[in-house]
Amino acid sequence: MAAKFLKQEDLPAFLAHLAKSARVIAPVKTDGLVQFEPWTPEKQVELEVLLAKQSPKEWVFPQTEKYLEFKYGKVMPEGSGEAVADASENAAESVPQPTVEVEVRNEAPAQVIFGLRPCDARGFTQMDQVFGGYGGFYFDPFYNARRAATTLLVVACVEPRSTCFCTAVGGCPAGREGADAIFIPVEGGFVVETLTEKGESTAAFSGLTEASEAQKAQAADMEAQAIGKVGAPFTLEGLRDHLHDNIDDPRWRDLCMRCISCGTCTYVCPSCYCFSINDELVESTGERYRVWDNCFNPIYTEETSGHNPRAEKFKRFRNRFSHKFWYYPDKYDSLLCSGCGRCIMDCPTRIDIREVLRVMGTAPETAFSQASRPTEAKAAAPTQAEGKEA
Amino acid sequence: MSDNGNGAGCGCDKTRLTFADVVPGATTARAGKKAGNPYLPEVGTVIEIIPETPTIKTFRVRFDDPEVQKNFTFAPGQVGQLGIFGVGEATFAITSRPSEKEFIQFSVMRAGEVTRALHNLSVGDKVGVRAPMGRGFPVEEWKGKNILYVMGGIGSAALKATIEYTLEHRSDYEKITILYGATHPTNFTYWYDVEEWRKRDDLELVLTIDRECEGWQCDVGLVPHVLERMAPSPENTIAITCGPPIMIKFALIAFEKLGFTPEQTYTTLEKRMKCGIGICGRCNVGPKYVCVDGPVFSLAELKELPDEL
Repeated sequence: MAAKFLKQEDLPAFLAHLAKSARVIAPVKTDGLVQFEPWTPEKQVELEVLLAKQSPKEWVFPQTEKYLEFKYGKVMPEGSGEAVADASENAAESVPQPTVEVEVRNEAPAQVIFGLRPCDARGFTQMDQVFGGYGGFYFDPFYNARRAATTLLVVACVEPRSTCFCTAVGGCPAGREGADAIFIPVEGGFVVETLTEKGESTAAFSGLTEASEAQKAQAADMEAQAIGKVGAPFTLEGLRDHLHDNIDDPRWRDLCMRCISCGTCTYVCPSCYCFSINDELVESTGERYRVWDNCFNPIYTEETSGHNPRAEKFKRFRNRFSHKFWYYPDKYDSLLCSGCGRCIMDCPTRIDIREVLRVMGTAPETAFSQASRPTEAKAAAPTQAEGKEA
Repeated sequence: MSDNGNGAGCGCDKTRLTFADVVPGATTARAGKKAGNPYLPEVGTVIEIIPETPTIKTFRVRFDDPEVQKNFTFAPGQVGQLGIFGVGEATFAITSRPSEKEFIQFSVMRAGEVTRALHNLSVGDKVGVRAPMGRGFPVEEWKGKNILYVMGGIGSAALKATIEYTLEHRSDYEKITILYGATHPTNFTYWYDVEEWRKRDDLELVLTIDRECEGWQCDVGLVPHVLERMAPSPENTIAITCGPPIMIKFALIAFEKLGFTPEQTYTTLEKRMKCGIGICGRCNVGPKYVCVDGPVFSLAELKELPDEL
């Protein structure tokens, strides 16, 4: 594919060009954090800091999303005809009958997300499977309307962070999966490759020039170097089977010990998609909305009777990792993790998904001697637990 | 994208879907919902409320759209989300006869926020229904077999439609037995049906209550104990159980003692649900979603899942 070149100093003009036809979402610095926000000319796009605090998932799958509006009313039976008359034999003819009007809200403005990273884009492709009705499941009209109206202009990573592990989960610092176009930083600007029709039309900007052979070579070089900089802290080989075969592995209890069930990992994750549905009603009008949920929260599964299938923390902990590396892969043939490492950076108790997967990907009897074990006293615990299991 | 009925999620075509294949509108229109939006409930009107026990009421709901009402079908064992706009939705077994064309029926035990609000409804009030959902009992596969229902308390709601179905198609099945228990005689739901069932000679009905009670003439004892006393033969028999979790647990043990294989034994699960369409991630038990892969599971299937029931 013919590569183009965008000069660094032309970036604001390029974004302004995009903003003519769509809302531009880009990583900008606000309150000391880099966050994906609607871009305006006075905001500078922040591409030096690798990874915005949160992935851009909220622009396709908002944290809180109103999807139904309703309004209660009353009508006299005459207005609604015989249906009311036989609805209730007891209702007196003149008693007003309740009505409810229900309306769907589904707004999907055209938008371009610029400056997301390959792992963020893969987060979308992973959620696409769930919301897209893959395998005969239901098609989510809200997610998909916004997803269809969104163009992803991905910027490749040159200097991966120590917490990055995209290559361990099948990704790449210059991965194209999910991207409509990819911008590879080179000297003085970006080599731009358009990957889809959407990317082609969105990136049709007069300021782009043909990329020179030298620039293309530099881009390829950048890519190769960046791949080498990402660690390979665990192996996927056999991981799913280990999770499946050792579901009652007592090491889950040990690994989750530090977890405080705060759910930060789920909120910053580009592919976590669990949600709750709630209603609000004020007088006669109300709305139904969905809101991100957190599978670590004990009340997530708590039933009205008080019974809770995952009352114990280790079960919730096990559920999240198993979901990403066993349940989801069994359904959709891919992983539910793109290796961005945000959960590692933001975990208040420094739980490291790479360590969890490394331990759980090894046979129960060998793992603990190599696992990070802070104290001798703690190291004894799993042995006892394993003994009980046996 | 396949659209081959309920619980089609696992083990079907594994071709990977790319986003380009997902065309808005190419929906799996399965839940009797307008414009293919599985989140949009069908508005219905409560046409009858039957008090069953001190805490259970049965609601008959007619969809406001006559087309939807006319075309509504479901498989026995399937569930639906019944809700009140402004309060929320909850999942209930559909308890009407599968052949019923006039209304859809749910039995609701007063327990939490939504069920309490439902209990406060009057005839004529509006509700929202998203149904049917999930996978029902494989009643077709059971043709020519003996059917043994073992149920307790509100668990009868989950089996009601299936019992009705097998009775409506009585000649397709061999011996049908119902063991039905409640804590107290006042706690039997569908007593009017029980009265009808008692009159039938093509149905063995065993009723039991947990403790002695004046005037009670049937069995006394916990359902699993009575089941063991009855000692039904597992030969060519399908055993289906539903009730409080503790009853299910011991009924399954009793079935195993009596020689029923896990493949012969079925139950139906209840989990907290939100979306009801296999997306929101709440009702999973391991890789299975109760809302789309269940709620009906054979014991053989349950044994594959983590201990998170």
